Amino acid sequence: MDRRSFLRATLVAGGGLCLGFHLPGCGGRQKQMRDLAKQTGDLRPNMYITVKPNGRIELACNKAEMGQGTTTGYCMLVAEELEVPLDQVDCRFADSQPEYRTSFGMHQTGGSTSILEAYIPLRVAAASAREMLVAAAATTWSVPRAQCTAEAGQVKHAASGRALPYGQLTVDAAQQDIPDEPALKEPGQFKLVGKSSRRVDSRAKVDGTAPFGMDVSVPGMVRAYVIHGPVYGARPTSINADRAKAMPGIIDIFAFEWGVAVVADKYWQAKRAAGAVEVEWGKGHVEGLDSDAMKRQVRAWTIPGRSVRNDGDAEDVLKKTGMKVVEAAYEAPYLAHAPMEPMNCTVAVNGDTAEVWVPAQSPSVIQAFVGDVLGIPHEDVLVHITYMGGGFGRRGSGDYAAQAALIAKRVGRPVQMIWSRESDMTQAFYRPLSTIFMRGAVDDNGGVAAMRYHSLSQPISMHLFEFLGATTPRWMPGAWKRSLIRSAMGMFGSNSVPDLFAAEGAQDTPYRIKNVRVEYTPINSELPMCFWRSVGHSYNAFAIESFVDEMAHAAGQDPYRFRRQMLEPDSREMRVLDAVAKLSSWGQAAPDGYARGIARHTSFFSEAAQVIEAKVVDGRIDIRRVYCVIDCGVAVNPDLVAAQMESSIVYGLSAALRQEITIENGVVQQDNFDSFPALRMHDSPEIIVEVLPSDNKPTGAGEPGLPPAAPALANAIFAATGVRLRAMPLEKAWAAHQASKGGAS
Amino acid sequence: MKFKVNGQARDIDVPGDVELLWVLREELGLTGTKFGCGKALCGACTVHVDGEARRSCVTPVAEVEGKEITTIEGLAPGDELHPLQQAWIEENTPQCGYCQTGQIMTAASLLRVKAKPTDAEIDAAMSGNLCRCGTYQRIRKAIHRAATLSEEAK
Repeated sequence: MDRRSFLRATLVAGGGLCLGFHLPGCGGRQKQMRDLAKQTGDLRPNMYITVKPNGRIELACNKAEMGQGTTTGYCMLVAEELEVPLDQVDCRFADSQPEYRTSFGMHQTGGSTSILEAYIPLRVAAASAREMLVAAAATTWSVPRAQCTAEAGQVKHAASGRALPYGQLTVDAAQQDIPDEPALKEPGQFKLVGKSSRRVDSRAKVDGTAPFGMDVSVPGMVRAYVIHGPVYGARPTSINADRAKAMPGIIDIFAFEWGVAVVADKYWQAKRAAGAVEVEWGKGHVEGLDSDAMKRQVRAWTIPGRSVRNDGDAEDVLKKTGMKVVEAAYEAPYLAHAPMEPMNCTVAVNGDTAEVWVPAQSPSVIQAFVGDVLGIPHEDVLVHITYMGGGFGRRGSGDYAAQAALIAKRVGRPVQMIWSRESDMTQAFYRPLSTIFMRGAVDDNGGVAAMRYHSLSQPISMHLFEFLGATTPRWMPGAWKRSLIRSAMGMFGSNSVPDLFAAEGAQDTPYRIKNVRVEYTPINSELPMCFWRSVGHSYNAFAIESFVDEMAHAAGQDPYRFRRQMLEPDSREMRVLDAVAKLSSWGQAAPDGYARGIARHTSFFSEAAQVIEAKVVDGRIDIRRVYCVIDCGVAVNPDLVAAQMESSIVYGLSAALRQEITIENGVVQQDNFDSFPALRMHDSPEIIVEVLPSDNKPTGAGEPGLPPAAPALANAIFAATGVRLRAMPLEKAWAAHQASKGGAS
Repeated sequence: MKFKVNGQARDIDVPGDVELLWVLREELGLTGTKFGCGKALCGACTVHVDGEARRSCVTPVAEVEGKEITTIEGLAPGDELHPLQQAWIEENTPQCGYCQTGQIMTAASLLRVKAKPTDAEIDAAMSGNLCRCGTYQRIRKAIHRAATLSEEAK
């Protein structure tokens, strides 16, 4: 969004700027600003920035902090343009006010867009405040503005040696006009941006004071434990809670749409009593669902999918004689997100309104889920955001908030609902299961003449009812909205409109292949899906970059050079690929019997490439090192970008190696970190990251590091052992391969 | 039930089978210790009992009667930072931060018995603490840094 349209948008927001709630008829924004300054001494020229009379800067951040470092990045952008030290900025999470809906029409965090979205608007907001403070000082001193400078939280007039700290200028600054187009710094003038500053939230996170969802306490609050049924969506048909109700602290125990709520003064009381409740369950939404049967069915699929890309004539070329045809099918399982903090939500229902305290990625989506389940308008749900113990996309949904709201409504008191880890892992909203069929033709020159990519997966779009409900215009009547959304979901489900995410990373591949056909077929089930870090890229990159590797080997070529020749010369893709080859000393032998695999992927407007060194010893896949190069445009904080690469790689490799959600007869088979394990310190590889310098606007950093990891590993395993693993989790695929050979590892 | 928490004598009246984690969080308001799994699989709930790291989510409070418990809030006096906390900040170690107090408590109990641990000793001691944000190599680096900071302070 350019500066002009941003400013127009905030001017129109009007009443919502005044002390965080909507005051219709409050008058112009300038008047509000002046009234506030008169009352409190605060200078608040826009929805982001408040300059306090003590000189501290308060930033209202409309993004969640789930570890990606967005609060630090936003504070840095503000401190840069406002000319204050970084530690003079205090960051708080913005409540669900309408003016904060800056992301796809929502107040939300996801899609690796936080810095991209705010890079200009946030700096404009800070620069506006700076110019007003300078103007105020210049007026006070009766000197031209051009002679005054803002520096380290003060306005200075060098010629006369006078200086005033911002705190003393706030009221006068509020009398100034809010500038239309404040001057922004040129990149060459940056003092903070581009430096690896310390995170602004580290202190609170190491001393235990950072408040996460279940650390919230509101007056009159009680706690709830939920007993969920064995099959997703199962509703209790009868309960016997006589014994449980007699236990200490129990307030109520009742069946509701999603299970049994055990409500007590303290969570330990609720959890303890839950063990004494007897429940008989009705049928769930996915009775009889069997993920292995689904996989077998999909593997046997022969019907072509709906085309989402068709350059040239791949089918024709693949039939030609003289072509070396390579064929492979890649499989990826359902995955849970399993963030460290289990789902939880605190809700207070007050008649026709509700108030929510929640670690969530999208206040707008929470408003939609809670509003819909309570039958109240979304804007009558006020959402407060806390720190979040991991999101990864799971907290972009609001299903857990809806459950908490139902319980709170029934109990008539504020309720803090905390799910067990078992509920957290088994209550759906997974990364879709997928199978991808690939066929490619290598020509006489050793290049790729054609590639056909057919992806089968469950469409996420079918489960975005409340999500879409959060984005539709507020003027639209509820009935229209529901009808519109149902039609859209119907179109996704029937594949008349291909799912928005299913073929991402495949349909837009930058490899210069003349004949490319990408097809999609939806696999439908009633099990809700959700965004999982890097979404469709998480399985499409595994397929494409493993397959490109297979074609390279079929052509007898080096996998790095094979990829390189298919990329546009002097392109960003080529630069990043070259950089990782150099970083990893590609071409030289890796030490100690390790072998290298390479993969590259474009996602979220960024370029990432990785080389992984791995080998298999005594049946165990051993990863020594991951080299990662990222080009994400301007890196506001390079160290935090590197941290996101480390994070994506550990998260992605955990999944690639050993994670899957399987369902037997409707029952999810994994429910804690023993059955859904992750990498730990002793089996995590060393990760070396290079963040390429760039003058381009910032692009995604939270997710692009994930897609290349699984294929780079599979490619390394092939290089080390000659065994091509095409199904994740790879440890299971290795064991299956060994078993089929009938031998030991 | 009588025990000490962060140097203060406490007398808590709860059934003996209630897990220490919830006693700390709900009876004493010490919310720095976190709930992650309830089965001692993730380490987010780690506290010290008589100086040794314990997973409080599976420790019945009856087991700590008469003992001294230290939580993250009591790791360093007042507003001071333990060398581990200082090192964590210097290395930009935390991301979401939810596992980090448990990581620090486990690391602190390691440094008590081994002032300068090797990488292998760190891995062995810390492998019970999960981090879904993948901060392991920074945790390891921060533990080394803390060992150095402690040495310099002597």
